[in-house]
Amino acid sequence: MNDPSTENINQPLTEEQVIENLRQTEDLSDQYYAAWWVGRMRSRHPETLPLLLAALQPLHCNPINNERRAVALNAIRALGILQERSAEKDLRSLLKKNDYSIREESARSLGMIKAKAAVPDLCALLSGDPDEAEQLQSGSSKLKEPYESVLEALGAIGVASCSVISMIKPFTKHSRPLIRASAGRALLLLTGNPTWAPPLIELLQHHDPLIRRGVLLDLGATGWMPALPAIQAAAIENSLKLVALRGLAEKSEDPSVLDAMDALL
Amino acid sequence: MKNVSPLEVAIADLQAATTTPELVRATKNLCNLRTIEAIPKLIEVLGFNNPAVASVATAGLIDLGSQAVPSLLVSLDEKNYGSRAWVVRALAAIHDPRSLDLLDYALTTDIAPSVRRSAARGLAELNLIYPEDSLKLNRCLLALLTAIKDDEWIVRYSAIFGIEMHLLKYNSKNKNLCILGLKQLSSNSEPIKVIRLRATLALQRLNPS
Repeated sequence: MNDPSTENINQPLTEEQVIENLRQTEDLSDQYYAAWWVGRMRSRHPETLPLLLAALQPLHCNPINNERRAVALNAIRALGILQERSAEKDLRSLLKKNDYSIREESARSLGMIKAKAAVPDLCALLSGDPDEAEQLQSGSSKLKEPYESVLEALGAIGVASCSVISMIKPFTKHSRPLIRASAGRALLLLTGNPTWAPPLIELLQHHDPLIRRGVLLDLGATGWMPALPAIQAAAIENSLKLVALRGLAEKSEDPSVLDAMDALL
Repeated sequence: MKNVSPLEVAIADLQAATTTPELVRATKNLCNLRTIEAIPKLIEVLGFNNPAVASVATAGLIDLGSQAVPSLLVSLDEKNYGSRAWVVRALAAIHDPRSLDLLDYALTTDIAPSVRRSAARGLAELNLIYPEDSLKLNRCLLALLTAIKDDEWIVRYSAIFGIEMHLLKYNSKNKNLCILGLKQLSSNSEPIKVIRLRATLALQRLNPS
């Protein structure tokens, strides 16, 4: 019982203390933890939103202080979890930043906020020919854009126009399985057309457990009920199946998903 | 030539195994003997820090049921965190009332949400008899009532499942307290939607009208 994380359990910070930690900039590790906490605890304190937005400002400086960048990443995630609509404009501007992780987290949070106005910006990140979308950045295993989180966001926002669909479709043929899965997830969400489901179900059999886990969560997020037996049968630990089924239950509101979850507890 | 028992063969195979598939196969063979003599070795396997192998050993221990409980209860003295999680899972699934103290402790103090989730389920499913075991049953219910305030949604979920199961099976003087807790979890003060859905379902099942 000498795990350091138990200290936080023994002496929980009050919301007021966390807000103060978020406001100050002397101890950036305190600010970093505070930016995470307000999202995790879904803080509705009146100061939460302005302080999170203020924490994004260092991203517009040049050069960007590394620790402040880490605080800002947590702030971006928290704004998504809190579904702060009024953060839309700030997050959209971050999609144009020359920093892969900032674009990745901003796209994801815009998806959680369901920011319709961000759809053209997100689609812009998908543009270019298919070869471009396969190219690695020099000295890294990263692709040009955070395609998974952009595709995920477009699916969550739910604008099913022809132009959005046609931007997403080429990614169902991407060489990376998790990008194919994100594209399938988005198309299934946007069109409700079951033809996008079989490739996802097939990927649940992939030999790499990391891919099986990612696809499992994608299937859960689609709310597509026929995926239930495949999720139940997948060779993946119960903890993660429960997370996937939570997605399925929340999207479909079908009580049979709750029975399936009970059986995995 | 000396006679070698199947148990000795299985244990020797397990000791010789090095890769995960070998370890899984050897552990399965040991489980298939269905003998209490395999228990110490199966518990040892839980500490190998290999989830594929540990899940096989856990299933084997669960198959042995109450016979495995005394060894499992003692094995918790080990400081190995990984094996502790598997021990809680096995005890939760065996339903032996002797596990009550340990499951109660795990639900209140364990750091891993998946362990607290198993412990909550275990407390709801112990083989206790009403009204003889009323005191113990009440302890289980009070532990579950505390767990509906857990920070992790999956622990709250498991506690709702447990409270529902408990109230459907037994009379309880704390029924009203439970209904109150479930009502709160079904309201918008609960941020996680699946928790609201599960609490609403539990209330429907407990108050058919």
